[in-house]
Amino acid sequence: MIPRLTNDAHWGFVSGRISVLENRFMNKDFFLSLISQEHISDLIPYLQETFLKDYLTPVMAWVDSGDLTDECFSNTALSLRSECPSSLPVDMFLIQGDYLNLKNALMGRTEYPFAGVTLSQEHLLSIAGGDLSELPQAMREAEFNWETGIQPETIDIILDGAYLRHLLSMAQEINSELISKYVRFRVISYIITVLWRTLKKNQPLKKCLQYILPLSDFSSIANELAAAGNPEVWISLVDGDVGDLILDAFSMPKDEQVPGFELGVQNHLIKLAKDGKLQTAGPERVFAFLAGLQAEMQNLKLTINGRVNRIDQKVLRSRLRECYV
Amino acid sequence: MTPELIEVGRGLCYAGAGMAFGLAGAGSAWGIAIASHQAAGVMREKPELFGRMLVMIALPGTQGFYGFIAAILMMTQTGLIGGTELKITLGTGIALFFIGLGAGIALLVSAIKQGEAAAAGISLIARRPEEAGRAILFPAFVETYAVVALLATILFIVFLTQPTALQFLSIQG
Repeated sequence: MIPRLTNDAHWGFVSGRISVLENRFMNKDFFLSLISQEHISDLIPYLQETFLKDYLTPVMAWVDSGDLTDECFSNTALSLRSECPSSLPVDMFLIQGDYLNLKNALMGRTEYPFAGVTLSQEHLLSIAGGDLSELPQAMREAEFNWETGIQPETIDIILDGAYLRHLLSMAQEINSELISKYVRFRVISYIITVLWRTLKKNQPLKKCLQYILPLSDFSSIANELAAAGNPEVWISLVDGDVGDLILDAFSMPKDEQVPGFELGVQNHLIKLAKDGKLQTAGPERVFAFLAGLQAEMQNLKLTINGRVNRIDQKVLRSRLRECYV
Repeated sequence: MTPELIEVGRGLCYAGAGMAFGLAGAGSAWGIAIASHQAAGVMREKPELFGRMLVMIALPGTQGFYGFIAAILMMTQTGLIGGTELKITLGTGIALFFIGLGAGIALLVSAIKQGEAAAAGISLIARRPEEAGRAILFPAFVETYAVVALLATILFIVFLTQPTALQFLSIQG
């Protein structure tokens, strides 16, 4: 069902700009053609049609394609952010950079290359220096025992939990049916992915949960899933689209079930975001565009790196995400 | 009919005229602003589309003129501008007030909604410039109801200011 979308003329300027930018999105056929190119040099004419057009240089090193897509995404997002009446829909994407920088800081590094919006260089440096009082609120809310310190093997999961808490609080603030639906789906699917991966490693699920909880009203379902401890039972606990995706994953070979579920989740998120295109002007339009741009950048990264590293075309095709157009 | 009642009748008539052009003008300004926001955003990326979007931006402005026409007609028909001064009864004054108010509301709402339809059309032009001809139809359909409101207003003003109507709406009968 399409969520309720109300037009807000204050978002007209940025939405008008997005209407033009949307022309640059590529469809699945484009990516399939890109994958089928034999020589790396043949990729250039194709890439001239994409968002990466302005970032291509004659002496470009192909190994940098990940940096290129990240730079393109963050530059576009920051440019839109400056034109939005509220920065929230853009910040929901840019805070990923904050948490990646935070990871560097927690590991004692002093380089923070990602575009973030909530943590300044000074904050990150003091965290890197051991001052945990500077950690963001979402991070300090984590249930795990801080006295034991953050171990390198748990740092990613703790940061993911904090990132999701931050997303949930932002979604609540923005009060949009589409954005809320998107974020809630993302949170529940992440909980399942983490639990499933932990289960595959034969590690205790309850211990894993202490790193990502609390997650608002998802905490109880997360505990129920951990208590059940079996993905086949999870289907009955999380019905709807998430349950269908778990069911789809079961039809895949054992080793591909979790990656298959994750790809299904990413595709479903794009399908949810596509409803934002129906709005003439509003925060959902910006949010949906950035969700589409993120998927586009992932597909470009996958195809360029895949071709450069001579990864089998069949594998690349199977990993391609749903396109925004 | 006492002079006081005629004064009240006239006052109501001109208040109605004020409502007609005031609300219509406000609506037009609002509608143009909605369409302009969208168009300015499109021009940020594609300035060459300005020509195709210009009519869409201007369309919500017509309601302001319709309100102005209605107000001027009220003034000419009642003798405020030229012609013979009409002795407006209280009943005619009330009727003209509500005609002006009704026209103003119809023009206000249609101008805002036309601005929204124009913004959606501009969004379509941004994605498919070749569809500019069809995109203009969306706000044009909204215009129909502004024109209907203006026609109804003109007819009401003309007929209500005829001697037979004035007598019909008079307290004395």
